[in-house]
Amino acid sequence: MSAFAIEADDLVRTYRTHTGVIRRRRLNVEAVRGVSFGVRPGELFGLLGPNGAGKTTTIKMLITLLLPTSGTARVMGHDVVKETTEVRKRIGYVFGGDRGLYDRVSAMDNLRYFAELYGVDPGEQKTRIAALLELVGLTGREQEKVEGYSRGMRQRLHIARGLLHDPEVVFLDEPSIGLDPVGARELRATIKSLVEAGKTVLLTTHYMFEADALCDRIAVINDGRIVALGTGADLKQEVATRTIVEIETFGVSPEAVESLRADPDVIAVNMEERDQSQILLVQSEHGTLITQRLLGRLGETRIGKVVGREPTLEDAYVHLIATTSGGDGAAARAAAVSA
Amino acid sequence: MAGLRRNARLIWRVWVFTMRSFLASEFFILTAILQPIIFASIAFFLFQAGGERAGEHTLLFAALGTGMMGVWSTTLFGCGGAIQWHRWEGTLELLIAAPSRYDMVLLGQTLGASTFGFYSIGATIAWGMLLFGMPLNAAFPLLLPVALAVAILSLGCLGMLLATSFVLYRHANALSNLLEYPVWIVTGMIVPLAALPGWLGPISWVLAPTWAMEAIRGSAIATTPPLLAMLLCLLLAAIYYLLARWVLRFVLDKARRDATLALA
Repeated sequence: MSAFAIEADDLVRTYRTHTGVIRRRRLNVEAVRGVSFGVRPGELFGLLGPNGAGKTTTIKMLITLLLPTSGTARVMGHDVVKETTEVRKRIGYVFGGDRGLYDRVSAMDNLRYFAELYGVDPGEQKTRIAALLELVGLTGREQEKVEGYSRGMRQRLHIARGLLHDPEVVFLDEPSIGLDPVGARELRATIKSLVEAGKTVLLTTHYMFEADALCDRIAVINDGRIVALGTGADLKQEVATRTIVEIETFGVSPEAVESLRADPDVIAVNMEERDQSQILLVQSEHGTLITQRLLGRLGETRIGKVVGREPTLEDAYVHLIATTSGGDGAAARAAAVSA
Repeated sequence: MAGLRRNARLIWRVWVFTMRSFLASEFFILTAILQPIIFASIAFFLFQAGGERAGEHTLLFAALGTGMMGVWSTTLFGCGGAIQWHRWEGTLELLIAAPSRYDMVLLGQTLGASTFGFYSIGATIAWGMLLFGMPLNAAFPLLLPVALAVAILSLGCLGMLLATSFVLYRHANALSNLLEYPVWIVTGMIVPLAALPGWLGPISWVLAPTWAMEAIRGSAIATTPPLLAMLLCLLLAAIYYLLARWVLRFVLDKARRDATLALA
């Protein structure tokens, strides 16, 4: 018996697609390019990456909805291609967003329906549903139609649905997407309670804070490959010797940003757009000692607050993504074949 | 034996859930109840205008025919779109990823849709009795519930075949619209089959609504019990189910290979 609840070994997934109408061209897009990792029983494992990195494709192979092009994967020791029923008995799958529920009927009707589909013993259904409603904080609202639910309530109902058959492994695919801060905090508390109950959880997310707060280990995936794997502290080590200078600017020009990048002591510059301002995140190994020089390079740009701080997981993530997104990545992933 | 009981329970629960979902849908209320009443009213007025030529059972013939038109519309749109709608709602992946047999789930859904369609017959009969003074004397009252049951089964299985076939086409909705009127005509819902050109015969024979209509009308107004029609309903149901399972296996394999489960 393997030491891992989830094992992915060199998973590859290629999609075929077409472009053009008259001169049709067949494209093979490599969404996942040799992903390997193992998740221990009872572990909360995060899969972190930008849009289109291959997170959802990886999850869909693990939950038997997609066939890998090559490579193997096992969940609780069962092969995801050959033993689909055994895998499906042991997993729960929850995804984020508005879809995936029957809106016109009540939450209770939804849960009863899925309890039947998941093979929950009829004698246990009532107590199981009541316990899950309690767990996700929907007790008392279960008779309301789902179409009247807020996004946070829908997401919590999704989680209750995914846990109906008491699965050993739970896959959460961007569950906090679109939630307000209070809803997201409640969801994180629910996810924590799953691990405390002994579940193995694989979580995909865009949000560094969420991954840092929840996950035992994190794999960063980019361009279909895992580019880093370890604890949040391990990943932060990638940028541990650096300092981040955050410079708030108003109407900074691309030339000024390029001028910052050209500074020999600057390792990376990232920009976040705010409503009225832009925040420049300048990474260097010289702390705030070079701040004056940096401000000088911005010339006439109007400057707001300037803050020096220690690097966070987000900085490590941005560094990893920036250094692993090769210019030829897209071309390598989409090999065109004339039809 | 436990597996059989579990599958029977699964089909039943999905069946009931589907009917409840349809009851909350304005589209299906319109298709299964209002539309047949409109068609029935037109037919009643036409037959009344026929005056003396209208026989004793003419109004009942029209009520059952227009009711059956509603049954077919509900089956076509409810079953034909069963997989597509779940795909759009984002529930298809959840149904496939569940440990239950998906063919059983789909059968429960399509039986639920065809059963819901039978509201149409109730609606047109009630409409005829209330507004047009239509007499309701079934020739074989004990056979009528059996005829209804085999009709539901055969249409549900035909719906399962439609659902699995339509899912391969992105424009299945257009195909549903295309199949509505021709089947009304070719299966004898509007005019008796004997009045149609002979070459349409073989087409009508392989369509369950023909025999379902025959079984229901036979139980209500014929002089001999419609046992052959009932038997053919059962036979066609079995053939449709086996074909649907075969197509479904192909469709699910293709979906896992081509990643089409979640696409609209």
